[in-house]
Amino acid sequence: MPQSTIVRLEGITKVYGMGDTTVHALAGIDLMIEQGEYCAIMGASGSGKSTMMNVIGCLDRPTDGQYYLDGQDVAQLSDRDLAHIRNQKLGFVFQQFHLLPQLSALENVMLPMVYASVPTAERKERAAEALIRVGLGQRLQNRPNQLSGGQQQRVAIARAIVNRPVLLLADEPTGALDSTTTREILAIFGELNESGMTVVMVTHESEVARCTNRVIWFKDGQVMQSYLAPEDLGTVTAA
Amino acid sequence: MDWVESGKMAVKTLTANKMRSSLTMLGMIIGNASVIAMVGIGQGAQRLASEQFESLGPNVLFISPGSNQARQRATNLPRTLIWDDAKAIASQVPAVQEVAAQKQGQYPIVYGGLNSSSSITGTTPSFLSVRSFDVAKGRFLTDLDLQRNQRVVVLGADLANRFFSDQDPIGKRIRIRNVSFQVIGVMRPKGSFLGSNQDDAAYIPLTTMSSTLTGRTSPYGLDVTFISVSAKNEASVPAAEFQITNLLRRRHKIVSQDDFTVQAQKDILQIVGTITGGLTAMLAAIAGVSLLVGGIGIMNIMLVSVTERTQEIGLRKAIGASGQDILVQFMIEAVLLSAAGGLIGTGVGVGGTLLVATFSPLKAAISPAAIALAVSVSGTIGLVFGVIPARQAAKLDPIVALRSA
Repeated sequence: MPQSTIVRLEGITKVYGMGDTTVHALAGIDLMIEQGEYCAIMGASGSGKSTMMNVIGCLDRPTDGQYYLDGQDVAQLSDRDLAHIRNQKLGFVFQQFHLLPQLSALENVMLPMVYASVPTAERKERAAEALIRVGLGQRLQNRPNQLSGGQQQRVAIARAIVNRPVLLLADEPTGALDSTTTREILAIFGELNESGMTVVMVTHESEVARCTNRVIWFKDGQVMQSYLAPEDLGTVTAA
Repeated sequence: MDWVESGKMAVKTLTANKMRSSLTMLGMIIGNASVIAMVGIGQGAQRLASEQFESLGPNVLFISPGSNQARQRATNLPRTLIWDDAKAIASQVPAVQEVAAQKQGQYPIVYGGLNSSSSITGTTPSFLSVRSFDVAKGRFLTDLDLQRNQRVVVLGADLANRFFSDQDPIGKRIRIRNVSFQVIGVMRPKGSFLGSNQDDAAYIPLTTMSSTLTGRTSPYGLDVTFISVSAKNEASVPAAEFQITNLLRRRHKIVSQDDFTVQAQKDILQIVGTITGGLTAMLAAIAGVSLLVGGIGIMNIMLVSVTERTQEIGLRKAIGASGQDILVQFMIEAVLLSAAGGLIGTGVGVGGTLLVATFSPLKAAISPAAIALAVSVSGTIGLVFGVIPARQAAKLDPIVALRSA
């Protein structure tokens, strides 16, 4: 399979506020993420890693700079087009799972396909497939409140991959889980990555980052280390 | 996202919070039910009044003293309308068939230990045919009774029943305002007219009324409360109206404003229609206000719902919902709430109207126009009052929405 660039950022800046109170959340980021990579974005709070995540996730537009997602220029698309991009090319996993309580696991996973106008029969089939893939084949009809935290996060992962995105974004996916469950969830991310999925994960836990292949280290709105091997994490945290 | 999907989603969301949804709908239910019931009852009242005036007969005219303005101002009515006017109309107006003069009063009636305060009408023999009354027992007043100022009385059905429950009233003597009268007849029951019981009445010769009960009340002659006239047929009513007016103007030497009013059944129906129509509109307007309040209730709950579901909105946007998808979702919820409330309210309103129609003399009618109006208004209210919350939801920034705890 030929390697292609999933994320290409060129001179991305993000400025909040105006006049004297301007904050440069991102101060000129150049970054490439290739297909099949498994990256962790790390950094202290206020380092710009969340803003980075929002820009990569097309939830926010950069103030300036170029962003090519899967070869498409998405830096200044309209809200409507960005919604379409998020639906088709991106999958999100959040710390708080964000499942809809009134819907079953299956229905929660079907939701992205609802917005993609996938035919109903196909929705069910694909949603069930995705849930089986994350090991929840037996829990299709359960409501979120009938599931454990780890199971809920699996449902969220199934929801993120059901539209076959080019990039899976996870924002502190293990932040609300205990260590055993964290290992299980990380194993799922590992499996997904091995099957070719590009995964970018924001985390502040070095144990979690160690499961990835590459750590991108943020500080003061800039990338300090772009190709840090997870094994070398200790050197940066010490610094 | 298609409509069917959005509808299903909205139903799911609304049923997830049944208590709140039904309480929100309650506003629309009450609003709709009251519009339909009020209009139904108002139209029932209108129909009842119309039917009563229609029962007078299409060829009946009434002449009452005083101009329309004077009657509206309820000022002292002139006592210029006299029995001689009635006689003149009967003999000189070709379009007229019969004329009955009436002088009304309310006096105490006593028989044995029983007493009653009832409506006493002094009238002429033609009263029966002009007003379509009928005698059940005995006889009615005759010209001879009038000529001789006879102290005879014909009792209304209820009055006869009350005084002479199991005995024959004919020939008995009752006292009206302490004057002894002999009962010569009993009227056939007639029912009530505009809320007053026509069977709780007694009829005596017009001349006796004037000489023994009221005394002389006008310098012009034997003045009357009104004159009922039957025209030859329905077609001759306008002619009769015109001829009577001319005759009375001449007789009363009118140079400017009439001191009497001639009204045909049609004129009265029109007035009744105007009054009850206005009443119905007023009732509907009051009920409409509660529809509006119901709409505001929906807006209120939808605003709360948007705040509560900020995270849901954020998530939906993150997985690909556009602002418009969110707008549509919330609009559908608002419209569903108001339309469902509207439909239930329609059911309640129709039920209430039928109940009123069954258990009261008001012939309350279900008005399809009122139903159509109420349902479409409640749907529209959902649309109008749903817009603000839905727009607020659609505008939410997904990043902020997702982060809100």
